[in-house]
Amino acid sequence: MRIKKLLALVLAVILILVTGCTAADNEQKPEYPTKVIDMSVLFGAGGGADVVGRKLADLASKELGQPIVANNRVGGGGAVGYQYVLNAEPNGYSIVWNSTSISTSYHAGNMPEGQDYSAFRGVAKVTDEASALAVKADARWETIEDFIAYAKANPEQVTVANSGVGSFNHLNAVLIEQATGVKFKHIPMDATTSTTSLIGGRVDAIVNMAFDIIQQEQAGNVRALAVVADTRQDSLPDVPTFKERGFDADLTMYRGIAVPKETPDDVVKILEDAFIKAGKSDEFKEFAGKYGVTVNVLGAKEFEALMKEQDEQVAKAMDLIGMKKQ
Amino acid sequence: MLEYLSQGLGIALQWENILFMFIGTILGLVFASIPGLTFSTALILMIPVTFGLDPVPAISVLLGVFAGGMSGGSISAILLGIPGTPSAAATVIDGYEMAKRGQAGRALGMAVYASVFGGIFSLLVLMLVAPQLAKVALKFGPAEIFALVIFGLSTIVSLSGTSLNKGLLAGLFGLLLTTVGLDPVMGLQRYTFGQSWLMIGIGIMPVMIGMFAFPEIIETFQRAKNNKGVSKEPTDKQVVKASFPTLKEMKSTFLLMLKSSAIGTGLGAIPGTGGPIASFLAYDQARRQNPRCGKGAIEGVGAPEAANNGVTGGAMIPLLTLGIPGDSATAIMLGAFLIHGLAPGPLLFQNYGDLVYAIFISILIIYVMVLVIQFFGIRLFVKVLDFPKVNLMIAILAMTVVGSFAINLNFGDVIIMFFAGLLGYLMKRYGFPITPLILALVLGYTIEDNFRKALVYSDGSLAIFVQSPVSLVFLILALIMLLAPLIKPLLEKRAKADKA
Repeated sequence: MRIKKLLALVLAVILILVTGCTAADNEQKPEYPTKVIDMSVLFGAGGGADVVGRKLADLASKELGQPIVANNRVGGGGAVGYQYVLNAEPNGYSIVWNSTSISTSYHAGNMPEGQDYSAFRGVAKVTDEASALAVKADARWETIEDFIAYAKANPEQVTVANSGVGSFNHLNAVLIEQATGVKFKHIPMDATTSTTSLIGGRVDAIVNMAFDIIQQEQAGNVRALAVVADTRQDSLPDVPTFKERGFDADLTMYRGIAVPKETPDDVVKILEDAFIKAGKSDEFKEFAGKYGVTVNVLGAKEFEALMKEQDEQVAKAMDLIGMKKQ
Repeated sequence: MLEYLSQGLGIALQWENILFMFIGTILGLVFASIPGLTFSTALILMIPVTFGLDPVPAISVLLGVFAGGMSGGSISAILLGIPGTPSAAATVIDGYEMAKRGQAGRALGMAVYASVFGGIFSLLVLMLVAPQLAKVALKFGPAEIFALVIFGLSTIVSLSGTSLNKGLLAGLFGLLLTTVGLDPVMGLQRYTFGQSWLMIGIGIMPVMIGMFAFPEIIETFQRAKNNKGVSKEPTDKQVVKASFPTLKEMKSTFLLMLKSSAIGTGLGAIPGTGGPIASFLAYDQARRQNPRCGKGAIEGVGAPEAANNGVTGGAMIPLLTLGIPGDSATAIMLGAFLIHGLAPGPLLFQNYGDLVYAIFISILIIYVMVLVIQFFGIRLFVKVLDFPKVNLMIAILAMTVVGSFAINLNFGDVIIMFFAGLLGYLMKRYGFPITPLILALVLGYTIEDNFRKALVYSDGSLAIFVQSPVSLVFLILALIMLLAPLIKPLLEKRAKADKA
């Protein structure tokens, strides 16, 4: 009996709290958002994309006054999560932590025909992540020029691991070949295996996200030779870009928030303001910095232009490796 | 080192740290012991919590979930016959047999003892030879991992029970299931029938939950229908007493525990292998030592539990020394390090030696907590068996649905779980063992992934598998395992003929 009474008391308290809260909400009567927003994260929990995305969602939810819950919907290089969002009501309650993967997964044939980047509209671009080319710390190549010269003299001999066939880093490895006029032997692995295979001495070089390389460089295991980006990375200040050494390779991974194309303008505007504010906050910048992620916020219009521009670049590179299905 | 040790002790023993270790351990134990919730889910839930904590409590709470989870998986494996995590799948075989004979308390006691043994063994290895072991682990490329996993798969022979043919068939079917989804190298869709939820393939957890839970649920309902009295009957009438292994049992299993812990620690240190393989390899060792394994022997419970807890310390080796996560749990821990501006690797030991030692001491405290919590917990857990069995099975049915949905927030997994459950029931009815299928499902993807990656290195030449001495040794061992049941009778015959 005592337990029942206690239970009744607890229930009563909960009820009062719940009704009290909703009453307070009703006073403001915002049209959007009035309930929890679901954010699909396309990659595994605990990884860089996930953790930085969660932090951003947390900060944006403070702007919006409603919680944003990050849910990992992993698979098909992002396709599983993209399709989840496209199948949901386009009312702003289902958003996606988007990246260049919309272009790689679409052209690899994992998305239904026609559901490419243009099935989404951009809300805000928030971060950039660059790839880098690295060799083992005791390798004979000191600079990117040494490495390219050696690769030129030994076509299709130098082994370069990347994070999988058709992955962002594979595309960048191919774009590096194009820009420098060499031919590598590509070894498609995954993000972790490519790093262990370099340290374990099974390949000559890797193209991996700069961030994964930074840790290994700090640990003295590898030497980064060049990054694929417009400008040097804050986290690798001594490593040149391919561009500044005269090689035209600059495909950088973007991440930002996107929603289905049919989402109403006023909803997109509310989300855009919140995410721009969250992305530009010092708290987010400091947090993202620890993950080697560059914060570079763009609004909805500019983000859409970037998605289109990158899609063309990705399509071209996928075609080069014979992976372009659509 | 002594200086670091005392500083580390100071950090590790702060009340905040102890509190979060305790929370993590409890959370891991609870999540792992409920079929369908895994400690990976608990780890994901704890990520946002770690944002606001100091580095050591942040790592401690995750370590608590990891270690608590590895040891908690055995609770439902033993009491309900449903492994709480894939790493506890081997524990079901003897653990559930013991529970059926009214020895649930004894099995749980052994599992706790073995878990703590394995965990502390791996901690010692981590403290003493981490850099050396990491170097060895780096030598394991795709070819070596492929051979190692094939060796792991060959234990199907000893898991098949009475019929080797049926066991091999079940195993092959498991391998077939792993071909569904995107292929590991080219990313091409196989058997997805245009369904996006099939792109991630047939998940291990939904199949495991369905296959282990459904036969039991269906049989209980059938019995209840045929015999109305059963529905009120408690699951097991015998008085279940919790008991730890006796000194004599500890002595007789000591070598096996040592071997199993070493298997777990070694495999934990190799990125891309991990818990399930380690526990099955250790179980195979137990079987060699005690022919009663499979019918409910403490060795069959202890070996896999020592091995999967050995993985915890082992997995920390590449993480701490190289900054390379070996599995999803350590990947989440890597995240926690980075949030606090700590990059794991050799520099971590140089610059933050006190923190590293604080982590070591925390692992030790966590295993003491596991021991204490479980010691009192067992008395509570076994109460589950006092429940009317029909009611218990209804609760489990609900958990299987919720659990399989929760893994990926994917309704497709619930469908897979139901199909797997039906298949599991039919298999059991027609005498096909389930464990070989689960083992094949757990290992199948790793096998194909590493096989094909190895071929990328060698330009398609199979020679890579015999040129590497490590790979060659494991492949030969696997071959011996497979052929042993054929050769053994021949040898015995000849021996007899010689005598005569």
